[in-house]
Amino acid sequence: MSEPQPRTCSRDFPGTVEAASEAENWVARQASVLGLDEEAEFAIGLCLEELFLNAVQHGHANRASISVCAEPQGVTVEFADDGEPFDPTLAPAKRINGPTDDFDIGGYGTGLMQRFSRRMSYRRSEGMNRLVLEFAASP
Amino acid sequence: MRMDMKVIEGDDGISHVVLDGRFDIQGAQEIDSRFDELAKSSKALVVDLAKVSFLASLGVRTLMLSAKTLIRRGGEMTVCGANENVEKVLRTTGFNEVAGIYPDYESAARTLRERLAGFSGKQG
Repeated sequence: MSEPQPRTCSRDFPGTVEAASEAENWVARQASVLGLDEEAEFAIGLCLEELFLNAVQHGHANRASISVCAEPQGVTVEFADDGEPFDPTLAPAKRINGPTDDFDIGGYGTGLMQRFSRRMSYRRSEGMNRLVLEFAASP
Repeated sequence: MRMDMKVIEGDDGISHVVLDGRFDIQGAQEIDSRFDELAKSSKALVVDLAKVSFLASLGVRTLMLSAKTLIRRGGEMTVCGANENVEKVLRTTGFNEVAGIYPDYESAARTLRERLAGFSGKQG
């Protein structure tokens, strides 16, 4: 019996907020093609929204590319953008601690990515931020 | 339409906000201004997430902004019905520290009613 082949897909997007929304729709559409379960689709969509918005709004990226590879052992997503260098693996995870009316309304994305992915690794090469995220395997 | 938002005003002063759809970038943009207006005019909100299949960064921002506006006006917000992933997002950010998370509308509304009654009692 042969090993199941990895299922992959990739796409380039312009660096706009509208494209971030399109990337989410694209991942949702690819989920059934790649055989992703609901949990993996949720986690990947959440991480991509955060990465895309960071790259566009803070890194001023002009373009981004997303590659997804689904294997029995897990799902690997590479997000690359040409924005300013930013390593989200080094950013602290923020959380509201205790009842208060003095809390930030943004900046929670890094903590969410850390919580929803199994592992994140970053490198900067050829003028691009390249973040690889690993997610638990689909059944 | 990515996200539908219905508001049911109760006789008890509690607004039941029923969201239906994906609370992603587009979904958040669609309801942001209505949610903000509601937070500026209500005293107690139960945000019903039972039909929300997805929640990410901008959706959390919409909820936090409204919760902050409401709390600073002396109001209260709770959420109910969140699925496992949506609740995981809320707890990871610590949103549950400023707005209670309940399994269903009745338990969320009951808590708010008790708090509103306690507040009125202290005022009187």
